[in-house]
Amino acid sequence: MDNIAGTKSALSWVVNLSVIFLVVLWLIPTVGLLVSSFRDRDQISASGWWLSPFPVEQNFQAKAAADDATSQNGTNVIEGNLFSEGSGEVIRFGGSRNNPTANAAGETAELSKDRTLTVQQNGDFVYTSPAEIKRDPSIYYSTKTPPKFSMDNYRTIMSSSNMDLAFINTLTVTIPATIIPILIAAFAAYALAWMDFAGRGVLIAVVVGLLVVPLQLALVPLLQFHNKIGIGQSFLGIWMAHTGFGLPLAIYLLRNYMVGLPRDIIESAKVDGATDFQVFTRIVLPLSFPALASFAIFQFLWTWNDLLVAKVFLPSNSESWVMTVKIADDLLGSRGGDWGILAAAAFISIAVPLIVFFTMQRYLVRGLLAGSVK
Amino acid sequence: MSPLVQGIVTVILGVGGCVGYFFLSNLILDKVIFPASGPRPGRNINRANLVRPWLFLFPAMVALGLYLVYPVVGSFWRSLYNRSGDEFIGFGNYQTMFADDGFQTALFNNFLWVLVVPAAATFFGLLVAQLTDRLRWGNIAKSLIFMPMAISFVGASLIWKFVYANNADIGLINAIRDFFGADEPLDVLQLNFWNNFFLMFILVWIQTGFAMVILSAALRGIPEETIEAAIIDGANPFQIFFKIKVPQIMGTIVVVWTTITILVLKVFDIVYTMTGGNFGTEILPSYMMSYMFRDDGRATAVAFVIMIIVLPVMIWNIRQARAEMR
Amino acid sequence: MKAQLLAGAAALALSAGIAQADGHQPFAVGEGDFTWDSYNEFAEKYDLAGQTVEITGAWTGNEKEKVDKVFSYFESATGATVNYSGSDSFEQDIVISARSGSAPNLAAFPQPGLAADLASQGLLTPLAEGSGAWVRDNFAAGQSWVDLGTYADADGADQLYGLFYRVDVKSLVWYSPEAFDEAGYDIPESLEELKELTDQIVEEGGTPWCIGLGSGAATGWPATDWVEEMMLRTQSPADYDAWVSNEMKFDDPKVIAAIEEFGYFARNDAYVDGGASAVANTDFRDSPAGLFSIPPKCYMHRQASFIPAFFPEGTVVGDDVDFFYFPAYAEKDLGKPVLGAGALFAITNPSEATNAFIEFLKAPISHELWMAQGGFLTPHKGVNPATYADDSLRAQGDVLLNATTFRFDASDLMPGEIGAGAFWTGMVDYTTGASAEDVAKGIQERWDAIQ
Repeated sequence: MDNIAGTKSALSWVVNLSVIFLVVLWLIPTVGLLVSSFRDRDQISASGWWLSPFPVEQNFQAKAAADDATSQNGTNVIEGNLFSEGSGEVIRFGGSRNNPTANAAGETAELSKDRTLTVQQNGDFVYTSPAEIKRDPSIYYSTKTPPKFSMDNYRTIMSSSNMDLAFINTLTVTIPATIIPILIAAFAAYALAWMDFAGRGVLIAVVVGLLVVPLQLALVPLLQFHNKIGIGQSFLGIWMAHTGFGLPLAIYLLRNYMVGLPRDIIESAKVDGATDFQVFTRIVLPLSFPALASFAIFQFLWTWNDLLVAKVFLPSNSESWVMTVKIADDLLGSRGGDWGILAAAAFISIAVPLIVFFTMQRYLVRGLLAGSVK
Repeated sequence: MSPLVQGIVTVILGVGGCVGYFFLSNLILDKVIFPASGPRPGRNINRANLVRPWLFLFPAMVALGLYLVYPVVGSFWRSLYNRSGDEFIGFGNYQTMFADDGFQTALFNNFLWVLVVPAAATFFGLLVAQLTDRLRWGNIAKSLIFMPMAISFVGASLIWKFVYANNADIGLINAIRDFFGADEPLDVLQLNFWNNFFLMFILVWIQTGFAMVILSAALRGIPEETIEAAIIDGANPFQIFFKIKVPQIMGTIVVVWTTITILVLKVFDIVYTMTGGNFGTEILPSYMMSYMFRDDGRATAVAFVIMIIVLPVMIWNIRQARAEMR
Repeated sequence: MKAQLLAGAAALALSAGIAQADGHQPFAVGEGDFTWDSYNEFAEKYDLAGQTVEITGAWTGNEKEKVDKVFSYFESATGATVNYSGSDSFEQDIVISARSGSAPNLAAFPQPGLAADLASQGLLTPLAEGSGAWVRDNFAAGQSWVDLGTYADADGADQLYGLFYRVDVKSLVWYSPEAFDEAGYDIPESLEELKELTDQIVEEGGTPWCIGLGSGAATGWPATDWVEEMMLRTQSPADYDAWVSNEMKFDDPKVIAAIEEFGYFARNDAYVDGGASAVANTDFRDSPAGLFSIPPKCYMHRQASFIPAFFPEGTVVGDDVDFFYFPAYAEKDLGKPVLGAGALFAITNPSEATNAFIEFLKAPISHELWMAQGGFLTPHKGVNPATYADDSLRAQGDVLLNATTFRFDASDLMPGEIGAGAFWTGMVDYTTGASAEDVAKGIQERWDAIQ
């Protein structure tokens, strides 16, 4: 079967290579974020994530203690080692902040005012000055910092207050908001696909048109409405809102799938005396399962990653936050410059959708639309 | 009760309620109101069939009407008033809007987005779908390409910041330029006109997975016999692809194109978080966001323009639907 | 004992770290330099057991932790429960919730302009009678704080809606004392000297300034601070006030001159790290990092008092970094103007507890509890300055007190569409090459449209 399309080995090589190329192209940005989530903020600014496994040469400042100065032959001398704990390897050093790498390790630098500074590779240094040393002199040096990967960022986020609650809240919002629209949409899609009635074309057009309604328009009027009928900002409100917002796409996609189902099966069932309801529940619905599953995944992803609807329709106290709100409002606001934390947060919020996707993806592959179903 | 328990109860009630509604309403229709027995069963059945579509559609129509149609109509009405809502100015908002530089830039950029993103995403989706069709590791490849869809827009902005950053130590593009000897880092997001394409690519990156999934299924659905016949007739893989496969899945391609086009008209997060609409990257949805809650007259007018832009797509789809029904 | 308590409080303030999720009270009642009398008086007066107060504001993360601790004292004094939720997009959220009837009881507004908008729509409740007189008497430069909290209601009558709780001083230039020492630079006392220093640094091969305007959807706001500072240093306070209220048009030559003063620094490739093109896109939270790099990428960074939260971890204010007052022109004879900003509390949904909460904010203890945690300044005259977490804060407080002119951040006072919209984007356009006249004209046109 595989060779029926006449795949010569050269062609299949080309195909394989192009797919690899595309996949790598698609993956690289995400990999970058993943790697960054294990680094800390300083390392991220110092070197790109593609260099992260390699030690990075960075400049540091160390201070010699003026109190340790001894007087030797008329000059004041401080001796010591730059690495207070453990050991390290000095590559270059310098006496001024503007030129921290003026000299190679082992040389003797001549500083202003007749002072000298010698730094060895292992960090031993000798600082001499003819005048009395009153303030701690600074010694600048460069060394390779080993790559530092840690789960610190993840730990900070996971232990951030109420993160587990936010996770449960997100689940609580997404599952009903995925199941209920599908049910309602399936019936409507069937009606629009296989039932003949006046105004069908208009309704289909309206559904397509409603696909493009920008959500922001609906926020304030609907929240006012929710307040009026007494449900205010609550989980019930957001379930209803997501149902309303998700219906157009659901109906559109499901209808397109159902239209592609084989006419003969449905016709013969009707001839056999089945009502539309029976046709729907016993034939169309089971056959549409791949479409239902696919849309379920899209709707799940959409509600999981949604920020705006959650902020408006859920109460604003921190116990009701979903994960997107917690990350965007809490972490992004205060740790706006800490890219490591943000990267880790982004991955934490991706984790569940990815798991859902990978477990359900065989249904996706079976597909949403088919020219014919056997 | 805790939201989790509430959720479970809602799912049970919701599903049960829906099923119950549909079942009972059909039952009542068929047995009570228009029973298929009695003096004129035929007429009753016909009448039942006239009513039935509306039963199926009823919950959807209520939800759609309330959550989408009512805000839309209300918003159109609102766009005829001034910024604080107390003075009727007819199409005044639209007039000032069309004369505004910012709006014109946004409109132009939006056309670019609408032209480029669906085409590119569909193209890449189709390409990947076809290439991975018979591959042993096809499913893995597809899953990896779909992965960006699972990432929220905020996450995507962060990811691409590490690619576009104006610093060879952080941004991948500048690192590559640096490797090839460029002197200074280039801020791609400030490049006149071309920055739009860099932003567009982010959305293409995300949406290709969507297109790929749907087109892959469609490709699978093409009957084997047609392909086998073509091979026997001596067609090469390219001819098979363009002359047999593509026409057969044209309907699906249209659906994918439509859906992505509509999404492009709504997405503002990418532009909003990466450039804030500056540097000439403004598009209509982000333009609207900058007026939302401040000048609602103008914001709703922009929303209306967005909806009008989708009209051609709507009309095309209706035509397709009508053609299918025959 | 006192020293230990203060040191402990300072350590708390300076450490960045994982949240202590519970409302564990860091300061024991009756100990330390706090004015516990005001706390006890307040506790005796109010019993709100069983009530809940909902508060929203823009404080998130570390700042949220600190304010939660202050609220915990309100809870222990009255028996009520406080639910505070902070949001990065507070400006949008509060409008949505106020308009749709789900407003919290109180809101901490970072921009008076936004509060004024809501007041004019009738969505705020005025403070209790006598609050105005109280502020006049108890805040330094009290009348200004009353004016800043007074807005027109839906009928056009002026009422006092806002009580200020936290102040940021903006006219600060941050620098690395080590870098300055080594290079032998002196702290400039006048703007002329600052410009000379800038040139001197360039001559010696360095880059003087780090400027970054990036802030996601709010990109451009740091430039508005610069322009406001320049406005205060080139024009009289009356001119500044006229500019804020739009009596002086935005495209007035005086305003354009102020914008160009900012451009003197920001549009000069030699003056700014990364060159002029990097200014607009560098995130404001990343830009101070240049002060600490070796070799230094820049020597000075003009920014408000909240920026230490974004310095590299472990940076000690006073040692690794310090600030000096952003000087004024010696020749122009405009004194020492100081630009600042602050958050105000307003009542968005009155309840029995809301007035009690406002009273709590009037008590010195509520200010001192945050002062001791660091990152907080206040104009309240009744607080004990010894409770400031460290000397640097006390010094910032001094800047506040020594100002000959104090003005509130103009973009926070202007209507939201300008001050949190057109002004920001206009500044980005200016830094990327547009002319000051065009930018100012564009902003004025937008302002005309909303009159």
